[in-house]
Amino acid sequence: MSYPEATVAAAVPRPLISRRAREILTGYAYLVPAAVCLGGTILFPILKAIHMSLYNHVLIRPQEYAFIGLGNYVRVLRDEVFWLSLWNSAVWVFGSVSLQFVGGFAAALLLHQGFRGRAAVRTVTLIPWIIPGVVVALVWEWLYQPNYGVLNDLLLRAGILRERVAWLSDPALAMPAVIAANVWRGVPFFAIMLLAGLQAIPDELYEAARVDGASVVGRFRHITVPLLRPIIVVATATRIIWTFNYADLIFVMTSGGPANATQITSTYTLLQAYSNLDFGYAATLSVVLLVIMLAFTILYLRVTRGIESVS
Amino acid sequence: MSRRSGSPAERILGGPVLWVGIALLTAFALAPFVWVFLTSLKTRQELYATPLVYLPGTLTVANYVDAWTSRLTPFSRFFANSLWVSSVTMVATTAISILAGYALARFRFFGRQAFLLVFLATQMFPAVLLIAPLLSQWHALGLIDTYQALIYSNFSFTVPFTVWMLVGYFDSIPRELEESAMIDGCSRFGALCRVILPLAAPGVAATAIFAFVSSWSELLFAITFTSQTEMRTLSAGLLFMVGQYEIQWGQLSAGVIISTLPVAVLFTYLQRHLIRGLAAGAVKG
Repeated sequence: MSYPEATVAAAVPRPLISRRAREILTGYAYLVPAAVCLGGTILFPILKAIHMSLYNHVLIRPQEYAFIGLGNYVRVLRDEVFWLSLWNSAVWVFGSVSLQFVGGFAAALLLHQGFRGRAAVRTVTLIPWIIPGVVVALVWEWLYQPNYGVLNDLLLRAGILRERVAWLSDPALAMPAVIAANVWRGVPFFAIMLLAGLQAIPDELYEAARVDGASVVGRFRHITVPLLRPIIVVATATRIIWTFNYADLIFVMTSGGPANATQITSTYTLLQAYSNLDFGYAATLSVVLLVIMLAFTILYLRVTRGIESVS
Repeated sequence: MSRRSGSPAERILGGPVLWVGIALLTAFALAPFVWVFLTSLKTRQELYATPLVYLPGTLTVANYVDAWTSRLTPFSRFFANSLWVSSVTMVATTAISILAGYALARFRFFGRQAFLLVFLATQMFPAVLLIAPLLSQWHALGLIDTYQALIYSNFSFTVPFTVWMLVGYFDSIPRELEESAMIDGCSRFGALCRVILPLAAPGVAATAIFAFVSSWSELLFAITFTSQTEMRTLSAGLLFMVGQYEIQWGQLSAGVIISTLPVAVLFTYLQRHLIRGLAAGAVKG
């Protein structure tokens, strides 16, 4: 360390490219693997789907493969099952999300209280949310089973039913039945989100309101609800999109039946590809689904941006 | 405790109402499982008895043994497949997302906003959208009935979410930490590995678990991109079992419990981190 000046002068040769340029290049380099993943598994397949939607492409009838322009899209417009499936999707989304929200809110308020064993109860109530969708479907199919299902048995014993009900094969009952299974699965999602929101509200606010003589209901209406609003909006929007897209549960439980009573747009698309092997039409339905989803997403971004700028 | 005092309404809310509510909530979440678990321990006679037998008279593990060793629906094989596909998806997703998340959190470059938007928007895309094009893509590449097809396809839903989550985690770690490490002679990558990752470990673990659990649950890709029994994952195997012949509810219940346990255990272990991350990610949304 006898010549400090000399070390400093010699140590820094002029870099080949500037520090800033190197930062930018490193940034792009770090993004390459993720970009390749997204490109290969999402963006390219979407372009491919758009391309496929212009062809008559039924896997088991290769001799009929031909370019038909917008023919598949005309078929969508004339397809009564497609329009029915859109309506069913609306019922499915509204029924599932509203009940999940109410149940999840109640659960979050309960889990926010201090009581012995809270951690255990919290873990247990979250489990329906993380188990595989096919498991949820099969568990509920077994509960609904007409002859050996526990639901019929309990309702018969309680005198509520006079005879066994075929929950999943009755066109009037099938949709409420699959929605009930989906509610079971989704309540924990809202419970988690709203619980996180509740925990972020400072206790002092409640104390101050209590000192000012506000009742339980008053505190709930004027503190809890307004402060939770951002998370309510985000959670509900995410859930609406997710439920609209979700096909597993109905696909396993009813495959959209009986007589398309539970056919939602995502299961209809899936069945066209998986069962009918009608790839051209399935791709067309996916493109339509994508357009609906993009509209939702843009709306969602608008709404959440609004929240960010407020908070 | 101040919660206990107050108006009569509050005392009722904090006492009986709270306990009844908690009991109902626990029953609501658990009862269907308890029923399936009981079913899995029953003999065939008890399963299909009228009137319904609620508690198994003789406990039997025969359903588990049958499901695990069955030749038509070998759950041991399904389990191994699920474990492999989910583990590889988890490790690869985590590595890819750490790099991408770090780049988006730390570097400012052209197209950064667009990347963020794409990662957010692609989370909203339905899996059914990808079924037909991915199937023809994997077919063209000769990847049908391979683990790769399932693992690559899983990236379509794991990577966007984990990148998005990790950007949030990395953002919350002060830049000064790695800058001082770099002044001390660390490379950029060295600083990421030695300074940032240890600090972000809970977040990274939570996103890794998310990738594992969601791959474990995946159904649609698993049934479309595999056709041989020995390539099925647990989800696909369960569905396959339903379609195969008259439903064997005893074996099926055992299969359901086998498929649920690993994710339930993992989740219990990591729920705290996951919840905090989810809530943070959602509010950022």
